[in-house]
Amino acid sequence: MTTNSDDLKRRLKELLITGLRLQDVAPAGIADDQAIFVEGLGLDSIDALELVVLIEEHFGIAIPDEEVGKKAFASINALADFIAAEQSRGA
Amino acid sequence: MAPSGSAPRVVVTGLGTVNALGSSVAEFAAALRAGTSAIAPVTLFDTEGFRARIAAQVRDDAAPDALPASLRRRLSRSDVFALRATAEALAESGIVDAVAPERVGIVLGGTTGGMLRAEECLRARLEGRSTRYLPDPIIGSPISVSADVVADVFDIRGPRLSLSTACSSSGNALGTALDWLRLGRVDAVVTGGTESLCRMTFAGFNALHALSLEPCRPFDRRRSGLSLGEGAAILVVESAAHAARRGARVHAELVGWGNSADAHHLTAPHPQGTGAILAMQRALANAGLRPDDVDYINAHGTGTPLNDAVEAAAIRAVFGDAAPRLAVSSTKGAVGHTLGAAGAIEALATILALRDGFVPPTVNLEEPEPEWALDLVPGRSRTATMRYALSNSYGFGGNNTSVVLGHA
Repeated sequence: MTTNSDDLKRRLKELLITGLRLQDVAPAGIADDQAIFVEGLGLDSIDALELVVLIEEHFGIAIPDEEVGKKAFASINALADFIAAEQSRGA
Repeated sequence: MAPSGSAPRVVVTGLGTVNALGSSVAEFAAALRAGTSAIAPVTLFDTEGFRARIAAQVRDDAAPDALPASLRRRLSRSDVFALRATAEALAESGIVDAVAPERVGIVLGGTTGGMLRAEECLRARLEGRSTRYLPDPIIGSPISVSADVVADVFDIRGPRLSLSTACSSSGNALGTALDWLRLGRVDAVVTGGTESLCRMTFAGFNALHALSLEPCRPFDRRRSGLSLGEGAAILVVESAAHAARRGARVHAELVGWGNSADAHHLTAPHPQGTGAILAMQRALANAGLRPDDVDYINAHGTGTPLNDAVEAAAIRAVFGDAAPRLAVSSTKGAVGHTLGAAGAIEALATILALRDGFVPPTVNLEEPEPEWALDLVPGRSRTATMRYALSNSYGFGGNNTSVVLGHA
């Protein structure tokens, strides 16, 4: 049984892989609580900039500053929570 | 003899390469000696619609492992070649543990950098495979990026330069490295060049009718153009005294260099070869040598009708009575014309010739122009003990560089 949250997390992992052109990484290889940047997936600040654009493009949600971005991009869990919160706020 | 009594002698203590003939110096040396040609149909991109469809393409093009994911993913093909060649050169030189990072310089030549990546990003967007423009072209395509990436990965913190003077780029890089060491600005230099095939150069040379439809045949009567190539060659150079103190293996001496400009035409060499003559004369003077000290010239020898005729005449003009006993060969029929990497790859071929005692052949040369009366080493390599050799690099726009190398 999957939940909306599981669907969202899977969608986010696929977006990370295709949007940031990650080689040799499968959605199943990204843990929900794994760090996305530096350690963990090894992404850097240029990837963060790209991820901001991807989130805006795919979810219509803006990440206004580094403060918000740091929290939202901590992990797949954090990003899914951030998007769910923004979506319910907008609804 | 250096030009100034106090200038130190400079030697080459590390060698590395990736090119279409081999993924290491040992593989490259074996292929050069065997007279193999790596020129074959291009598979890197679609050549449909071009007159020429061949080049000396690197097949083993994997990025090095053990790099941060973000960096590994953004590397251009030029960066990959440079990183792998540098890894080989540094590992065998042992320089990293012997010198402070701030005392190691880097100067590389190249002409198109990450152009191939930029082309792919733009095509993906224009063909609807990507929904937006990516930052990759500005991060990865400038010619300066390969030296930046190499310096970051190998912690090289001294002076850094990226030179782009068309097909003489990495000849000028080697000369600049020599100057830095003579001036005492650094203790060691990582120098050379890197170049990747891309649509821009292929389409451009094709449009100029400069590409041969068959594998290029430098100095042949039937030569009809050049064959492009790609790859990198990296040398580690340091003063002879420094190398001796740390007990380093010396492959060759970097004895001198000279360069000049034609100020004549955007693509054609000066018909009298004035720039080529001046560069060779300056290189010999800078090395403190006379023409009859030289045993071998690794020619620019592209296989275009104009270059080879002008270069042969320039060699005759500089070497005069000494010309007939010189061996003159072009390695471009084997490894292709690697543009910004050509000066470095051909200096490496020259170093291997001096070190291992053989003259690399002019692959694909069957009928030398008889009136040049030069020993152009057609087809097969031969053994020879040589003391000094010249490596010529001539670029579009009239950029001429000659580098003098000596037996260790």
